[in-house]
Amino acid sequence: MSTSNQGSEVIFNNVGKMAIFKKNQTVILKNCSFTVEPGKLTVLIGPSGCGKTTIINLIAGYERPDIGRVKMDGQPITGPNWERLVVFQETALYPWLTCYENVMFGPLSRKVMTKEKAHEETLKLLAKVGLEDFRDKYPSQLSGGMQRRAELARALINQPKVMLMDEPFRGLDAMTRQLMQEYYLKLFEETDASHVFVTSELDEAIILADNLLIMTNKPSKIQKIIEVDLPRPREWSMVTSKRYLEIKAEALELLHEEAVKASTTSGKVDVDLSGLLEPVNTD
Amino acid sequence: MSDHTATIESQFWRQISRTFVNWSLFRQIMSFVLFLVLWSAIVVAVDYFQQIPTPKAVFMALFETPFKVVLVNMLKSFIRVLAGFFLGILIGFPIGVAIGYSKVAKGLIFPAFEMVRPIPPIAWIPATVLFFVHIESQIIFLTFYGAFFPVVYNTMGGISEVDIRLPRAAMSFGLNKRQMLWKVILPAAMPQIFTGMKLAMGITWILVVAAEMMANKGGMGYYVWYNHTVMDYPHVVLGMGIIGLCGAICSIGIAWVGNYFTRWQRIF
Amino acid sequence: MESKPDGKRQGRILIDHVEKVYDPEGVNVHACRDCNADIQPGEFAMVVGPSGCGKTTLLNAIAGFDNATGGAIYLDEEKIAAPDIVQSPGADRMVVFQGGALFPWKTVMGNITYGPVMQGKMRVNEAVKEARELMDRLGLSQEIERLYPDNLSSGMKRQVEIIRALINDPKVLLLDEPFRALDNISKGLMHEYLLSVFELTQKTIFFITHDLDEAVFLADRIFVMTTRPGTFKAVIEVDIPRPRDFRVLATERFVEIREHVKAEVEEESMKAFEAGERELA
Repeated sequence: MSTSNQGSEVIFNNVGKMAIFKKNQTVILKNCSFTVEPGKLTVLIGPSGCGKTTIINLIAGYERPDIGRVKMDGQPITGPNWERLVVFQETALYPWLTCYENVMFGPLSRKVMTKEKAHEETLKLLAKVGLEDFRDKYPSQLSGGMQRRAELARALINQPKVMLMDEPFRGLDAMTRQLMQEYYLKLFEETDASHVFVTSELDEAIILADNLLIMTNKPSKIQKIIEVDLPRPREWSMVTSKRYLEIKAEALELLHEEAVKASTTSGKVDVDLSGLLEPVNTD
Repeated sequence: MSDHTATIESQFWRQISRTFVNWSLFRQIMSFVLFLVLWSAIVVAVDYFQQIPTPKAVFMALFETPFKVVLVNMLKSFIRVLAGFFLGILIGFPIGVAIGYSKVAKGLIFPAFEMVRPIPPIAWIPATVLFFVHIESQIIFLTFYGAFFPVVYNTMGGISEVDIRLPRAAMSFGLNKRQMLWKVILPAAMPQIFTGMKLAMGITWILVVAAEMMANKGGMGYYVWYNHTVMDYPHVVLGMGIIGLCGAICSIGIAWVGNYFTRWQRIF
Repeated sequence: MESKPDGKRQGRILIDHVEKVYDPEGVNVHACRDCNADIQPGEFAMVVGPSGCGKTTLLNAIAGFDNATGGAIYLDEEKIAAPDIVQSPGADRMVVFQGGALFPWKTVMGNITYGPVMQGKMRVNEAVKEARELMDRLGLSQEIERLYPDNLSSGMKRQVEIIRALINDPKVLLLDEPFRALDNISKGLMHEYLLSVFELTQKTIFFITHDLDEAVFLADRIFVMTTRPGTFKAVIEVDIPRPRDFRVLATERFVEIREHVKAEVEEESMKAFEAGERELA
């Protein structure tokens, strides 16, 4: 595709969202407002079960807000679309397709590319994520890091305007995780798309973010927006810089406060609601 | 250090024994041999059990029977099983897909199924007369019935338990409903669909034997029953063994097909 | 609080040339080889290393679940693992497991008092009294004692497990990634909790983890293990003063030490990774 993919702006305006969990209705988001600036990397961090995944689902269009508006470039989001693609927690590659088939799955299903074009693009992307030697492997044959890279390629081939990263590096070991972070930083700095990245790891959050959004416990909203003004391109060595440590100290204070609140107010600190909230609804 | 040398020595002997003897295979063979020995011993030693044919008697019975008789009966059973099994898939699979995929279909069909399903298939034997005149069709109906529910329920279960992220990703990629079914839902549900088929295969064999025992129309069930009526017990046991063998062949066959279609699952 | 008549503190773990060989299907796999460490009484020792490097093997040998095939491990003067002894797990070495091992069919109180009661060391009412005292001292609300584990948060489950271990008055606590399932933010609270327990009880702690933040935050010394066959290749002193709280995480010294440990671990992971990659290709 030759059209350049401009990053989009996403606005949350007083969004409220409820969910039924174990037969109890819970308010997950309340008065949640923030803006994902075009072409920027917005990181959401907060205690687990605080509705980060719900925010991803709302932007992706898998769920609708009960109150308030979620808009992309001024238009309300009404459903899933290739313009907003999710890289899921753990992997959501299709296990019955090879790496190569997974990557070309989107454009071929939408019939927006010829087979030859898709083949060409897929090979280009697989090379970019360093998987050219693994194109005919099934996802179960790939390591965790490779799966994540394949998934990035599967999303990128569609040239989305917003990339939604739902704790994509969770479950990777420390080394692979850092490699993936550095890798992802490079990828982000090369593209124009807006990125929303959800995590519960503070170092990951700061090193990646342009804007760091700290969330409260349920019912969640944005507690504080910290602008991370570390220069780009980012490098891991920045973690010892003075500015970095300042930001970290500020964020730590806020997160700790939320964690203490969570452990004293509700017995269940860490019930992760993500993924349990909605039954499969393909109708 | 004496500890150390002792360790090395014991490791050495362990290594030697592992190199020359495949202990795991040896244990498997021993299990088989032990079974036959125990069986013979019980028959010989315990008066109460002396009517039971020994393994040797069963083995001899294999050569007494005209080979053709066994073969014809085997074929009859096979045809009935396969006919019922494939009918079960032909009808059960689409219904399973429908109730797994659509809430409307599930609401309309599922409750009625839940009412009928607890009735053990064998309890249907007398009632089949009401539906079919020919005994052959009665037997095939019964095997079909046995295969039907496992196929329906596992297809449905497989579809409704697909990891939500897979169809979600597909929705974002812009797949239409038909593509979603064929390209995402069905492949993802495939492992459980085959689990259902394996179950179905087992049940059809149970039913075909039961039905043949009642029916007087040949088949391995009839073979066993007939030999029972003439009190030829070595042949009864032989027939049982052959039924077991046929069942195993069918299970292995379906497992093989299933492994082929879900090969992405097992590769490391 | 642990003191023998001669006043010497207990809980020294001496790991002396330990070797562990597994041989499934005749292929010898060296999980550990020539593994040496001397953990002092009342020390908080963290063990880090690449996945599958034999950390858990070592813990199992100390706990008495799975014997060493060479060398020996001593707890104070007692030999607790060596090829020439028959091992048995003891109440002097308590393990808190990765996934958590509370009995789901017993209440919190039932779980905590289970050990001493089953061993016949205490009667039920004594054990209950002791448990309440311990819960009180270690800051766990007694309101939860009638609850079943399923009704607790994961963090609280871990707290209960730690208390269940401590009621046996062990010489050492063995922890195998106990907080793995927690998210980073509630994990932080658990770390502070564990530190307060450590400072109160002065037990020797042997703690396995993958999480380097966790390692640096908690440890007196960090033992870095090599890839298989596992052996200790570096011991890193953590000179951050105690008592520590979460603010330590944003100090320069903390990040420095962590990056140091990370570099050591990464070198090993890289080796493991290359070996693994070769298998993949």
